[in-house]
Amino acid sequence: MTMSADAAPTASVGSSKVVLVDSSTVVLGIETSCDETAAALVMGGDDVLSSVVSTQVDLHAQYGGVVPEIASRAHLELLNPIIARAIVEAGVPEQRIDAVACTVGPGLIGALLVGVSAAKALALVWDVPFIGVNHHEAHLYSAFLEDPTLEFPLVALIVSGGHTMLIEMQGHGRYRLLGRTIDDAAGEAFDKVARFLDLGYPGGPAIDRVALHGDPEAIRFPRAMLHDGLDFSFSGVKTSVINHVRKHPDVSAADVAASFQAAVVDVLVAKARRAADQVGAKGLVLGGGVAANSLLREQFLAACVDDGRHGFLPSRAMCTDNAAMIASAGWHRLRSDGPTPLDAGAVPNLRLDFLP
Amino acid sequence: MGGVLILGIETATAQVSVAIGGHEGVLGLFEVCRGRRHAETLIPAIEFVCRQAEIDLDEISAVAVDVGPGLVTGMRVGLAAGKAIAQARRVPMIGISSLDLLAFPLRHGGRPVAAIIDARKGEVFWACYLPVPGGVQRISEPAVGSIDDLVADLMARGNDMLFVGDGALRYREQLAEWLRGDFAEQFLAHPSSAPLVQLAHAKALREEWVNPWEIQPLYLRAPDAEINWSTRRTAAGTGGA
Ligand SMILES: [Zn+2]
Repeated sequence: MTMSADAAPTASVGSSKVVLVDSSTVVLGIETSCDETAAALVMGGDDVLSSVVSTQVDLHAQYGGVVPEIASRAHLELLNPIIARAIVEAGVPEQRIDAVACTVGPGLIGALLVGVSAAKALALVWDVPFIGVNHHEAHLYSAFLEDPTLEFPLVALIVSGGHTMLIEMQGHGRYRLLGRTIDDAAGEAFDKVARFLDLGYPGGPAIDRVALHGDPEAIRFPRAMLHDGLDFSFSGVKTSVINHVRKHPDVSAADVAASFQAAVVDVLVAKARRAADQVGAKGLVLGGGVAANSLLREQFLAACVDDGRHGFLPSRAMCTDNAAMIASAGWHRLRSDGPTPLDAGAVPNLRLDFLP
Repeated sequence: MGGVLILGIETATAQVSVAIGGHEGVLGLFEVCRGRRHAETLIPAIEFVCRQAEIDLDEISAVAVDVGPGLVTGMRVGLAAGKAIAQARRVPMIGISSLDLLAFPLRHGGRPVAAIIDARKGEVFWACYLPVPGGVQRISEPAVGSIDDLVADLMARGNDMLFVGDGALRYREQLAEWLRGDFAEQFLAHPSSAPLVQLAHAKALREEWVNPWEIQPLYLRAPDAEINWSTRRTAAGTGGA
């Protein structure tokens, strides 16, 4: 390992080894928190050498949601070949791996434990640091992977099946929670509405597809709490979709999907914009699974252009769970906090540490 | 150190057990049974056993794991770690059933053995064995079922038996009510990595091993397909897209 000029902090592993964290440090990232099994090699925090993702969506589709035990079994079967492929595709020898990072939470406990156990075992065998990574933090870092020119302070809108959050990033590892959902996550509302309309699973892409053929102004669904703070609420719009369809059974599913999507996206974009104004953010970042939604991408970017703000849209591959973002967040964590002890476990309901 | 060296990893029940050994027998053994801390305990335990036995992980020739049946969450911790070590060290693996590991230490008891593991949800995993020269021979396929299923199966065999395992201890009264036999000591109630290393060593000498990606867990149960929305909500799932 080469010495860097800016005297990067060092991290000690047990008693035997000191690792300097710099632009040549290669981190193996591992992600098994939900229904994607993924491994990636990232150098210096943002240079993706390889990123391999295997999605189990077909295994779970027939149940309309992720089945924890099926996910855990699949992770155990898939993880080794996926790690092997990530190393081969990176084109670097295994000895070049300087640290192993893995999601320790939040996620499904049985699924998380497969990755955490494998990651710690590899760290032990290779005698390199292990880094436990917060999955939410990794989603924030996926933006830096694709756009290293982003500057603090940033506001990130994280929208997934599990979460809807507005986060201010003041610096690396320095977050403030500006707003969050008080009931359903946006992605959850997509799933439930899609299921109600019989559009299939996962709900996000299904609604996105059908909405293309519908009129977003056909039905005026409520925009809950639109002018009211930075928190979100999505259970109301879901209920009014259900009520509307029950009252008008002949309504076009495409119109319902388009109108529902428009209502959700309106609120998401308006609040992200207001949050960015409030903290004087230089940039606005979109993340999480719902960031793949076409209308949200379009309106998010339009709002950034209007406000003259640096907007960032992740590529669709980076919206979904992947291990490159885990390796990237791991590199930053190793630099700031050093390694995670090998007696760490998984934390299914791990939260992000927010500044007061 | 010459010869074949085996790292044994055993996490299929409430116990975490790690051993290392070869033709000289078991050289190091760590066991703790405080439940639900498999992921936290296992890797430090491997590090500790190797360091105290003065063996480098570079020296091992195979990784042996308990493939179940057992409690899936703990079992997968051992399997995931064992597979990763074997893959990184480029050594083969040897999988042995938890029930075999329970029965083997009772090979000198002169009686048939029923190995019984608590499967929770009111069920048990079990299999029956006969002592034979040098070990035990399994005479029934590993099964899962209710205590009534177990009692019915064992009654049909009609023997004076030795019962071993955490399932035998938990359901001691029901078993004693219907069946003739004795119960093995409490310290034998969890499968141990000591017999795992011993049995795996014999297999390794015959080169009866598999590649890490070929190792098959013995679940015996179909996955519970009930979707847990509350755990899903805490997961950073991508259900929205
Ligand atoms: Zn995610």
